[in-house]
Amino acid sequence: MKAKPFLVAAPAALALVLAGCGGSTGDTSSDGSSAAPKDCSSADVFCIGLVTDKGTIDDKSFNQAAWEGVKALEGEGVQTKYIETKDSKDYPANIKQFTDQKYDSIVTVGFLMGEATVTAAKANPTVKFIGVDQFQDAAKTAPNVTGLIFPEANAGYAAGYLAGLMTKTSKIGIVLGEEIPPTQMYAKGYELGSKAANPKISVAKVYHPAGPNAFSDSPWGAGEAKKMLAQGADIIFGAGGGTGNGALGEVAKSSGAGTSLFCIGVDVDQWETVPEAHPCLVTSAEKKLVDGTTELLKQAKDGSIKGGNFLGKTGLSEYHDFDSKIPADVKTKVEDVIKKLEDGSLKVA
Amino acid sequence: MEWFLRNKVWATTALLVLVAAYAFYFVNSNIAVSMFSYAWFLAVPLVLGAMVGVIGERSGVVNIGIEGQMLVGAFAAFFAAAATQSVIIGVIAGALSGIAMGAFLAFTTVKGQLDQIIAGVVINIVATGITSFYYESGKTIPRGLPNFDVPLLSKIPLIGPVFFSDGPIALFALVIALVLHVLLFKTRWGLRTRAVGEYPSAADTAGINVVGLRLFNVTVAGTLAGIAGTYLSMEATSTFERDMSAGRGFLALAILIFGAWRPMRALAAALFFGFMSASASQLQASNVVDIPQQFINLLPYVLTLVVLAAAAGRVRAPGAVGQPFVKGD
Repeated sequence: MKAKPFLVAAPAALALVLAGCGGSTGDTSSDGSSAAPKDCSSADVFCIGLVTDKGTIDDKSFNQAAWEGVKALEGEGVQTKYIETKDSKDYPANIKQFTDQKYDSIVTVGFLMGEATVTAAKANPTVKFIGVDQFQDAAKTAPNVTGLIFPEANAGYAAGYLAGLMTKTSKIGIVLGEEIPPTQMYAKGYELGSKAANPKISVAKVYHPAGPNAFSDSPWGAGEAKKMLAQGADIIFGAGGGTGNGALGEVAKSSGAGTSLFCIGVDVDQWETVPEAHPCLVTSAEKKLVDGTTELLKQAKDGSIKGGNFLGKTGLSEYHDFDSKIPADVKTKVEDVIKKLEDGSLKVA
Repeated sequence: MEWFLRNKVWATTALLVLVAAYAFYFVNSNIAVSMFSYAWFLAVPLVLGAMVGVIGERSGVVNIGIEGQMLVGAFAAFFAAAATQSVIIGVIAGALSGIAMGAFLAFTTVKGQLDQIIAGVVINIVATGITSFYYESGKTIPRGLPNFDVPLLSKIPLIGPVFFSDGPIALFALVIALVLHVLLFKTRWGLRTRAVGEYPSAADTAGINVVGLRLFNVTVAGTLAGIAGTYLSMEATSTFERDMSAGRGFLALAILIFGAWRPMRALAAALFFGFMSASASQLQASNVVDIPQQFINLLPYVLTLVVLAAAAGRVRAPGAVGQPFVKGD
């Protein structure tokens, strides 16, 4: 048999080309003029670095929200900079770029970077680390890491409460990604919230069956939503990344979307992230990432920050186009519930 | 009659399934239609993927790159449609990208005699790489492919709403399984393809251009994978997510084996898997039984395994699958 080595070499080379992408960095200086980088080791300058999770800084999701939270601190004596992570194996290297330049505080975005963050924190005990969506286990964490976490159950409760008030068929659905603590909490809150608003309600709940693609399987999410709608559900909460987005898209495509059928997004204001869901998207169960990040950075700057976990706020996003379509009394009731959740008088255990 | 005697087991099973389905329909039409629709909704990409496998393996080329071909198809279709704001261009781009991926497999394995498994793995890796790297969030297409009712056929109870009120690609999948069955077993092309896959040197002696036929078949089969991808990003949803093929290409291979390398049986197998998923989802959503959902979700996979094991002894792969053909070897 004739050997044709180039046939192996060509794809291999292609794979290498595709893999050869580290991280791209971006300077802030919102006016565009790249001010000379300040010396972060000096005490007058407070330097904040942000390492994104896989994805871009303008992903209209976690990365962007966290970066907006960082930018809120910009001003005299503050320098901010971000690094976009292209591959999860670059997490430690990207964090190291900031620690090498003696940054004062480093924000790492996303659950997946948790381990790399704690490792870097142990090696750099003077740097304040903020891990967005990273729950800190007391046994493993370092004292200079603060995890910004969100009570998903509260967000789910608010969404469920709204759904319970709005449903005409007393049937609602929730399409989730993999069954892990955050999705479980969303589901639990959603069920309890909807029952609080409408005791007769029945909630159809499905988790994605398979592991690795559980958050990117939008066709599956769409199929689930289709089935729920066919069985009479009129509001669907898509809580599971791309899988949930598939469900939102399916509701948006169905006849009656926006008049009798509605959908609710998750994590961030999905009006911005899932434009195809506009026909049905009343609101999103949101983790208030911007505020939480800003709050923690302020604490880091004045030195009052504590290690462990910091509970961020959750709530519902704006109603956007549905603002005029939702009855005023429904809005007041929902606002009331969100307030009670925030001040702790209503607990979703 | 003769046909029935030859296909006793299959025909009887099909009949029983049909009777059971209608019994279910008359008990609770709403749930039945929604579950069968869901089954078909999930089965469409599996059917198309399995057809890619049928064509490839019947001509002697293993294609484990279906997953990657599908993903690239979904990607190309969605982003072409987003860039031009034209649904038609999206569909064409999806199909063309499938041809390109098919041609890659064909030329490396048939012309270049690269190991077929390696070529397939390369496709899967490159597909994940390209589609994640060039992915842009926030793009939209004007609309997905619309559902429509096929005249008359959509009026049939149960079968109508399930099979004949969907989008164009779902209908295409149904038709292509039938057409491929006829092509494979009733035409000259089919006979030659099977010969090339069973015993290429004999086919060669008989004057069939083995390399040419394999190149053609594998390339054209890629189109179907591209269309399966288009289904994912433009018909089932109107969005692209990274890795949205979610293992469907590999599942299609299992269905190909379960379907004994025959288009119609693969169609039935895909529907079976779809219905098992529908049952799992229904059990989970309706909360009628208090079993941890992980167990319920295992159901389709376990049942597919059981059926696969039961069928395993009886099915046989085409003789020359996986072997490159070298004239005079």
